[in-house]
Amino acid sequence: MADVVRESVFRLQFPFQRTLGPTIGAFASALAEQTLIGVKVGDRVITPPLEYDPENGADAGTDFVRVGPKGTVTTWTWVPEPTHLHPLAHPFAFAFVLLDGADTPMFHAVNVGSVDDMRIGMRVEPRWRAEREGRIDDLEAFVPATDDGPSDGAGEPWVAPAELSVDHMEMDCDLTYVDNSAPATLIWMQALLDGKLLGQTCPACGRTYVGPRGLCCVDAIELDETHLVEVPDRGVVTNFTIITPTPYPGQTETEPFVRCSILLEGTDAVLNQQTVLEIPASEVRVGLHVECVWAPPEERNVDDVGNRGWGVGGDCMRGWRPTGQPDEPAENYVERMM
Amino acid sequence: MPRSESDIAIVGYAISPMLRRTDQTETMMMLPVVAGAIKSAGLTKDDIGFTVSGSCDYLSGQAFSFVSNVDAYGAWPPINESHVEMDGSFALYEAFVRLLQGDIDTAVAAGVGKNSNSDPSTLYTIEMDPYYLTPLGADPWSLHALQYRALLDSGKATERDVAELVARNRASAKENIHAQVSGDYDVDELLAADYIRTPLRRHDLPPITDGCAAVVLARGQKAYELCERPAWITGIDHRIEPHLPTLRDLTTSVSTTRAAKGAGLAAGPVEVAELHAPFSYQELILAESLGLGADTQINPSGGALAANPVMATGLIRMIEAAKQIIENGKRRTLAHTTSGPCLQQNLVAILEGDE
Repeated sequence: MADVVRESVFRLQFPFQRTLGPTIGAFASALAEQTLIGVKVGDRVITPPLEYDPENGADAGTDFVRVGPKGTVTTWTWVPEPTHLHPLAHPFAFAFVLLDGADTPMFHAVNVGSVDDMRIGMRVEPRWRAEREGRIDDLEAFVPATDDGPSDGAGEPWVAPAELSVDHMEMDCDLTYVDNSAPATLIWMQALLDGKLLGQTCPACGRTYVGPRGLCCVDAIELDETHLVEVPDRGVVTNFTIITPTPYPGQTETEPFVRCSILLEGTDAVLNQQTVLEIPASEVRVGLHVECVWAPPEERNVDDVGNRGWGVGGDCMRGWRPTGQPDEPAENYVERMM
Repeated sequence: MPRSESDIAIVGYAISPMLRRTDQTETMMMLPVVAGAIKSAGLTKDDIGFTVSGSCDYLSGQAFSFVSNVDAYGAWPPINESHVEMDGSFALYEAFVRLLQGDIDTAVAAGVGKNSNSDPSTLYTIEMDPYYLTPLGADPWSLHALQYRALLDSGKATERDVAELVARNRASAKENIHAQVSGDYDVDELLAADYIRTPLRRHDLPPITDGCAAVVLARGQKAYELCERPAWITGIDHRIEPHLPTLRDLTTSVSTTRAAKGAGLAAGPVEVAELHAPFSYQELILAESLGLGADTQINPSGGALAANPVMATGLIRMIEAAKQIIENGKRRTLAHTTSGPCLQQNLVAILEGDE
């Protein structure tokens, strides 16, 4: 039989598409053409450009000028072990590069062979990726400048085309978490694997929480193993909804299905988000007596059970089926949604 | 100066154990700490007029974790509750402002962070500017190493100065039961350690900490009923600089200077300053920006280098500064919190005990 899960890894991914607007869009469109620009705000040139004056929040306008392509390192650090998020796979430097014609530096990578090649004041120039899409990393990295001369064209006006060639960017947020199961969660996991329902009863107010959550959220006191009680795996439907599946990534349901709340027999504990088996969704009703259908012990696992969402049954509980007893009056149960 | 009914003080507090990895949820970390803080002020949960917590769903990776965390207050019958996606010291600021309305006389502010679930090098990279920094993998180690080098290049500090303050903070932390990192360290040995990002060494980083803290605030006469020597918050201010580190002079902290001015630092000397400097060298920038002299003791707790439960570290500075008044009889102390990359945001509070 499966064991409790002490640590679970989960990956949070959000694919964002960001619109860029008239200023960042102009910078991105220029990048795609291997051109760096800043925005003139008062007597300063801010690079990369912003829509507002960082000194006072005023509209920065769109008085763009070309900057660089060469620049000077004003501070730097060495990345000896790059991660998958970094622009280069081998050791490199991150630096602030003050591009010729700009008054604020730009954060970027500098690609040199060794940490000993880096110094404040060194002159660098961009190395562009062959394929560019208007992102800051189209500029793969700065590299030592091939000559000591100034940049050509720095400070010249740059007029944005009427239609920007780049107006959005794709940005994937990708985070991995490793959560560990709290003591109360482990108790719940083991109970599910054993085919029984456990709760904790608060000694102050007498409320029973199923599954155990380690605290009474009314009295704000800790509950532990001395407060455990076994509760019946039978109950009455107190509320339900019929969900018509809409396609989204990860959706496995194709037909309308029921999720219901069940008040466990002889307790005041309600399990939410439960599945009803053996009858059509249209026949589920408030007041229906149901009993838990457990998976065979060898098929049970608690991989989906964690610290989030109390009462999740993992792959231990298949769902709940009608017992055949006469319904309870619905009006006695509608207040027990949670 | 006699206190009025619009003066607000810290009158109770509690701090959880500071752990590299707890087996508890944020809610369960908060439960005994909130209860402990309320008890330390001689109150029960039903006496509290307002509660506010600081936490961040992204740290633990749980959507709406701040809603679960309300369970730690015992929120029935319904309570007045608020939340900031920031350090608990900003929650304290909200509680302070709420108390100024004058209709309630007690409040609880808490901060909690289960930092061990996530990897700071990826998490805080996602938090950066999405156009100009995140696509380059601008991680916190790199950004802070750039700030550290800028400080060295300015001639205001040397690597030895920084190693000495690391050794001092870790030695101070020996007396702090809530320290995660403490002990006696030789400066030359610290300087011999490898760089993880030149000029940052591992000991320049804060530890990864799971932890929680909570305070009880009281207004006017109520503060005297609950605490023999309340730590009066005589000024509090929060200032923010542009989010892109490239737009700032990283060797100084204008927002700290302005927040200190707003909080009334100039009205007199401070005996102890608890500065939130998660990266070692930042303590030097902050001390200079605050104009602190040799007569101010900095971080007797060991500061954020001793324990760094993100979302509670700043509130702990507030508690440590308050303890100096409540328990050690100090007259005037300073608490500071930072937020954002390279000291972007800074909050300064001045605490005073009665003569």
